[in-house]
Amino acid sequence: MTTSIKKQSEGLGGSISVGERVNSQVAGYGYSYAITSLLSALLVVLKESSAPVMDMMARLSGHHWVTHGILDIILFVAIGWLLSRSALASDASYGSVISAVIGSTVISGLIIAGFYAI
Amino acid sequence: MFTNEMVLLAHPTFGALAIMAAVWVFVETLNVGPSNISRLRTVCFLGAGLMWLTYVVGGYWYVTQYGVDKAIIKAGPWPFAHSFFMEMKEHVFLMLLLLATFMPIAASADLSKNLGARKLVLWVAAFVVLTGFALEGSGALISMGTKVGLMAKPV
Repeated sequence: MTTSIKKQSEGLGGSISVGERVNSQVAGYGYSYAITSLLSALLVVLKESSAPVMDMMARLSGHHWVTHGILDIILFVAIGWLLSRSALASDASYGSVISAVIGSTVISGLIIAGFYAI
Repeated sequence: MFTNEMVLLAHPTFGALAIMAAVWVFVETLNVGPSNISRLRTVCFLGAGLMWLTYVVGGYWYVTQYGVDKAIIKAGPWPFAHSFFMEMKEHVFLMLLLLATFMPIAASADLSKNLGARKLVLWVAAFVVLTGFALEGSGALISMGTKVGLMAKPV
């Protein structure tokens, strides 16, 4: 039930919808990227701070980074698949998905860079 | 040996091509319309595919070959090339891989009629470009860390 604001756009030859609801797959995987990036950054801090966690991740695949990558990919696909079918995705706006993507990219990048800089 | 060197060269090459694809996506999105939407989506898939190649090739080299370089860097005058730049790069790259993978999904919306969808693709493509450049620069610093480490060794 989101309101769709229609306004004429010059030069694009048609109407443009601003604030229109996102298709649920785009919202689901957009939020999934945001969540997975943050979890991945927190996992960096956790594994680098805890030898047992690092050892366990290294044992699972032979290298901690390989395990980390596989976990990220599984989380991204699984969370995206689940959220795409949820009310959260079907009611989302483009603004909220854009905010999630920008916020997560900046915060996750700062967590990782900040952790190794200190 | 030749194969390992080719793998090492292929990693930043695929990365640079993925960045170029993201720039292409950005420009196509600014000018999106019925005539270029199909090309835009194809380039999104191309960019994501190139980023996956960067991941697989770079990951193979990192897991199987990097240990020698790591020891040289840590013993040399630029240990930060590993302790900051390599550590940061290998983990930020995982975010970049997911972001590039999300690019074709974001472009599946009706970009020619929806301003919000266009803004989302522009932001995603812009972050792929900026993060990609940051990691390419980090890779150059890591290579330089190995070089100065070798130059500092007594002959």
